Amino acid sequence: MNLDISFAIDTLIQIIPGIPVTLGMALGALLIAVPFGFLLALVRVNQIVIVDKIAALYVSFIRGTPIVVQIFLIYSILPALLNQLVEKNNWQIDAYGVSPVIYAILIFGFNTSTHLSEIFRSALLSVPKGQKEAAYTVGLNAFQTYRRIIIPQALSVAAPSMCTASMNMLKNTSLAYMMSVMDITGRAKALAGVGYQYLEAYLDIFIMYLVLCLCIEKLFQAWEKKLLRYKVSA
Amino acid sequence: MITINNVKKAFQGNEVLKGISLTIEKNDVVAILGPSGSGKTTFLRCINFLEKADHGTITFDGVETDLNKASKKEINSIRKKTAFVFQNYNLFQNKTALENVTEGLIVARKVPKAEAEKIGKEALDKVGLSEKYDFYPSQLSGGQQQRVGIARAFAVNPEVILFDEPTSALDPELIGEVLGVMKNLAKEGTTMVVVTHEMSFAREAATKVVFMADGNIVEQGTSREFFTHPKEERTRQFLRRYLNDYDYLI
Repeated sequence: MNLDISFAIDTLIQIIPGIPVTLGMALGALLIAVPFGFLLALVRVNQIVIVDKIAALYVSFIRGTPIVVQIFLIYSILPALLNQLVEKNNWQIDAYGVSPVIYAILIFGFNTSTHLSEIFRSALLSVPKGQKEAAYTVGLNAFQTYRRIIIPQALSVAAPSMCTASMNMLKNTSLAYMMSVMDITGRAKALAGVGYQYLEAYLDIFIMYLVLCLCIEKLFQAWEKKLLRYKVSA
Repeated sequence: MITINNVKKAFQGNEVLKGISLTIEKNDVVAILGPSGSGKTTFLRCINFLEKADHGTITFDGVETDLNKASKKEINSIRKKTAFVFQNYNLFQNKTALENVTEGLIVARKVPKAEAEKIGKEALDKVGLSEKYDFYPSQLSGGQQQRVGIARAFAVNPEVILFDEPTSALDPELIGEVLGVMKNLAKEGTTMVVVTHEMSFAREAATKVVFMADGNIVEQGTSREFFTHPKEERTRQFLRRYLNDYDYLI
């Protein structure tokens, strides 16, 4: 087995423009997953009639199917549906021209929201009931209680699992190549295919994902430290 | 000042409160005594809507509120006139001692931050914690935490402070410091309702003692009457058991 080092370096440089795509997908997906996941958790923790059952069903569905299958399904259904809508309403957009990155963000976002919702749910439940009661007795309303007392404490519990979920999601974005997204995986595959030099290209992105994930880990660690500053002992 | 009328509450068919009525005058220190499971804590929690009563009303300065059907606005209005001290302190874990005290002032009552901090520091000074402004609850002992809890309660200048067994979770040697703070408040004329097992506090600091058993008020009267001439047999029975340590009283 021979490693073509110069090819590896060459492809590495050519893969770099894929990093913003990978990070963009991950960030976009997080922007969907965090608020939506939190909403799902709130609905279930507060047992809002019917809606909580729907939320539970949604979580079961998404968690119970492989993300690859979700990609296949969404990517074959959504553009066609969009096209129908466009034709019906005579909009001036090209339904099939929508960037696959958008679909990827939607899929990874809603997929990750289910994982985050479970993380948020257990974190919210871990905050003792007395915290909420004390907040009510000093005159805070429900929103203020959540924002100032419950959520900060729940986040300190959720942060480590949120880190894992975010890293998993970043790694899952590598599947976006199936929708011909030119992220780092997409670029590596394309470059590798040219000269059948798969090993070098895959090693390149192996290292890239590792570095990106390490960065995420460090970011979360710093955040966690900040969140946990109140948990000092005498 | 406050009239509470016919409070009833059941948990899954189990009647915990069978129609409790109580009148609290300004400057009263009401001690609610009674065996465990008599409904003392539930009654206190119903007054502040931490528990929703099945039936009953509270009249606060002439304004009557239904304890079962109160609107959010009514609940908030009563909560702002009252303060609550919990058995397990329930200090906000993510806030310092000072922030615990100022939270209700700044957020709920819109007091400017600088003024709230001044009030908060004065309150903490008063309970002997002037060195602990910036300590988090996890850095304080139980007795210190409860004193912050009491400072948090009186800092908002409530019309009445409700105490739910404030010393039950404390080591015997820490009980004294908390009771000391409470006795000072009583001396200053703070209106207080105290659910407690501390007979010495009830005897020395309470103006009125209420004895509850099995969801009913069995007897109530002045502290002196209650401890020296209990009328009901059930009360005598209770006192005999508790006052073994205090037999000099009878």
